[in-house]
Amino acid sequence: MPRFLNIAFLLFALGLSTALSTTFAHADTFLPPKGAHILSVTGQITAKNAPTGLVLDLAQMEALPQHRFTTSTIWTEGQTTFQGVLLKDLIAAVGASGKMIEMTALNDYIIELPLSDAKDDGPLLAYLMDGKTMSLRDKGPIWMVFPYDQNPDYRTEETYSRSIWQLLQIDFVE
Amino acid sequence: MAVNRFLLDKVLRGLRPVIILLAVLSITAVVLNWLRLEAELQTYRQEAVDNIHWNVSQLELDLVRFGSEAEILQLKPDETLGELRKRFDLFYSRAQSILKGNMFGKLNLGEAIVPMNARLEYYLAQTTPLVDSPDVDLRAALPQIEADAILMREDLRAMSVKLVENYALMADMRRSVVATMVQRAAWAAWVVILALATLSLLVLWLNRQAVRTADQTLRLSSRLAATVETSLDAIIVTDAKGRVLDFNNAAAANFGYTPQEAVGADLATLIIPPTPCGSYFDLMARATLDGSAQEANSGRFQMIGMRKGGEEFPIELAIASHNTSEGVIFIAFLRDISDRVQAEDALVQARDEAMAAEKSKTNFMAVMSHEMRTPLNGVMAALEIASGMAVNDKQQRFLDLAQSSARQLLRHANDVLDISKVEAGKLYLSEEQFDMTALTEDLVAGLQQVAAQKGTEFVVKPLGPLPRLVGDYFRISQIIQNFLTNALKFTENGQITIEIEAQRRNDPLLEVEVRVIDTGIGIAESDQVRIFEDFVMLDQSLVRTSGGTGLGLAIARRLAQAMGGEVGVESELGAGSCFWMRLPLAIASTPTPSEAPKLQPVQAINPMDVLVVEDNATNRIVLEEMLQQMGHRVTMATEGRQGMELARAHPFDVILMDISMPMMDGLTATAMIRAQGLSMGSRIVAVTAHSLPADLERFQKAGMDGCLTKPISLGNLAKSLLGDALDAPPPQVQAQVLSPDRIEDLREGLGAAGLARMIARFRADFPAFRARLLAACAPDRLSDLMPICHEGAGVCAMIGAPALQQLYAKGEELCRNGQEAKAAEIIMAQVQPLWDQTEAAILTLDLPS
Repeated sequence: MPRFLNIAFLLFALGLSTALSTTFAHADTFLPPKGAHILSVTGQITAKNAPTGLVLDLAQMEALPQHRFTTSTIWTEGQTTFQGVLLKDLIAAVGASGKMIEMTALNDYIIELPLSDAKDDGPLLAYLMDGKTMSLRDKGPIWMVFPYDQNPDYRTEETYSRSIWQLLQIDFVE
Repeated sequence: MAVNRFLLDKVLRGLRPVIILLAVLSITAVVLNWLRLEAELQTYRQEAVDNIHWNVSQLELDLVRFGSEAEILQLKPDETLGELRKRFDLFYSRAQSILKGNMFGKLNLGEAIVPMNARLEYYLAQTTPLVDSPDVDLRAALPQIEADAILMREDLRAMSVKLVENYALMADMRRSVVATMVQRAAWAAWVVILALATLSLLVLWLNRQAVRTADQTLRLSSRLAATVETSLDAIIVTDAKGRVLDFNNAAAANFGYTPQEAVGADLATLIIPPTPCGSYFDLMARATLDGSAQEANSGRFQMIGMRKGGEEFPIELAIASHNTSEGVIFIAFLRDISDRVQAEDALVQARDEAMAAEKSKTNFMAVMSHEMRTPLNGVMAALEIASGMAVNDKQQRFLDLAQSSARQLLRHANDVLDISKVEAGKLYLSEEQFDMTALTEDLVAGLQQVAAQKGTEFVVKPLGPLPRLVGDYFRISQIIQNFLTNALKFTENGQITIEIEAQRRNDPLLEVEVRVIDTGIGIAESDQVRIFEDFVMLDQSLVRTSGGTGLGLAIARRLAQAMGGEVGVESELGAGSCFWMRLPLAIASTPTPSEAPKLQPVQAINPMDVLVVEDNATNRIVLEEMLQQMGHRVTMATEGRQGMELARAHPFDVILMDISMPMMDGLTATAMIRAQGLSMGSRIVAVTAHSLPADLERFQKAGMDGCLTKPISLGNLAKSLLGDALDAPPPQVQAQVLSPDRIEDLREGLGAAGLARMIARFRADFPAFRARLLAACAPDRLSDLMPICHEGAGVCAMIGAPALQQLYAKGEELCRNGQEAKAAEIIMAQVQPLWDQTEAAILTLDLPS
């Protein structure tokens, strides 16, 4: 259906409202990354820059819409400020379709979540913690976090289990 | 059942607040518990931690993989160390999560984690410098790293097992807390459910009660409405101001307004004609309201109502007030009583007419009887005379028949007159002292002869002592005489017992009962009441033989009632009758004569020819009646000359001669009879009211053989006929102050106005007369006393003042015997007191002013 809507948009509603455009904008065009790959996006996406799909370096991540929030986590000490790209924005940027997202970590940890769980306030694909990039030892380079303090709905075991760190790959599946 | 329901109702009503309180408490408990549970669950949800088992086992796995990488690298010296370093980083990262993160703290496992954290930190402090050292050094340290990893892994396993155990324990605790709370919530919920169920039942029950009450109220009110609507009486309900609230069908029919017209209108102006003194209904209602008229709530009133068209009609009204929640209301019941009033009026008129007719009939009877007596006396006297002149038996027989018929006629007239007198309330009773036993014996004596003929015996039986009594001697005699003659009529060869008994009553009076008990034919029970009615004769054949009127017992009954007593009969058919008379009588104030009652039967007397010379009609009738009852033949003369002529023409056995008569007095007539004629040798008896010893002397001088003193009784009459009456002491009769009979005679003769004039004259004349009398009492004037006394006695006799008459007569008598001084003494002592008494008695007379 999103595909159909895309086509419908292309045919009839070019350049309509910006609200609509954020939701249904066609994918950005990505050049092959110049720096080290930090994230690989595969599956049903329209934007590709590699045979497997899309690979992104830090600069490309920085080029995407940025968000930040400060929260505590059960894995860290005190308040931490996270900055990165909202999953929602990434989905839009890569023109993802399908219903489920499968994410895989460096330690072979795998989670699944529906596309609809990508909300305006999270999750955030954070690559900066307290303004600094994260090493492997600091759960980097990308750690998907939620605003735990801001939204009690995120203080659940499910959300904690979805807080995947050392994220390598995002796969959009049917 | 009703009581139980009532009790249950009360208990439930009492329980209601308790149940409500319980429900509220339970709900509060549930809510509070729920909030706590919710908070707990929230904590449970929000403070959930990353899966502890996963993290611990993952940490172990990362360590194993790092250790095995170190082992592999020892075997392959050419391999790069990147994978080893990555494995360490992953382990390091997860260890940091455990060391720095608060997931254990949040699970209250902070203390349990302390040894593991210390061990982890020690391990990281040892191994990190090795991993971060240049490749050469790292490669050299590989065996060391492998060994350390194995040691660390063993410790980690032991400690993680411990941790998981603690965690499980903790989780159990938390679960049990939650379970307890859930359980508590469940209990509270149950209580709430129970309370709600009870409340629902209560509400249901109350609802049923309410429905039942409403149903009952509806039924009652519809029944009441039906009652009111079907009432034949008009029923009108008003508020306190008299505005109609309710107007039933009967009211509509009676007054002509429809209920719609009437409701809301002012009742008084609607149905009550305007009156000058305000609305009667208003007065009634006000009286009802303030409760001053007790009858308002109970009584019925008659008043005038008004129909719609203005027609007025009589109504009967009853008003009741009632306090309702909306104030006082009045309920008026009204009934059209036109028919009743009409009927009542007709009835009253009919009664008045009947009474008037009855009164005129009584008057007529009285006048007739009275008027008949005088000519009858003439007829009888003429017959008597003619009888003496009869020349043959045939004439004599017819004359006898005519005489007997005339006598019967006179008796009838007398009877009717008696009844008329009693009925008209004109029977005046005298008060005389008398001896009941003597009275009875006298009466019996008069009947002895007839009794002897029928073979019947009289027995007079006084039961117990009997004092002298005060009463109307003549009327009492009349009653007993009637009983006796009655008994005699119906008794053949039997016995007639007269019992006399006196019983003390509560008042000073004695109750005297006289019973005349015969052994005659008796009276059927059904006739026993009837015989005291007027003109009742059980055996019609007796009319001829005994010559009764059928009034005797009726008169007896009336006389007894007039004297405050009663008469009655007890009888058994074939066995005899007992007629009784019961009278309340006063005891005489003068001492009882000590003589014992005479019990010896009075001697029977042979029938005699008796001439009665008497100007006083009453005395004449009495004498005639008594003599006839004794079986004597009686001839009557009304004055001296007539008596003398009759006596000369016929040889009488006894002549009863009144002394004081107009024209020719008794003494003169006696002397003339003694002088010549057929009755020269007859026994002549003086009949007089005053019988002083001196009188007897005078009578004897005039040729009289005996003296009969009034009042006449059968006993002394019988004695006087036989010849011993003159010796008998005259009965001490205390003279009456006024003689009712005389007064009544005057009233009949002169009319009430005439009597009043005469009495007034009598009173007016007295002072002058008294002056003359007292003047004559002066020693030098005593010679004038006798004529004045004589004059006074005459006046008093005429007016019927026996007491004064007796005083004057005594004075006259004393003067005649030369005792003028004694006469003066008595008169001066007694004239004023006796006059006072007489005048007092006169004032009690019923006279037109």
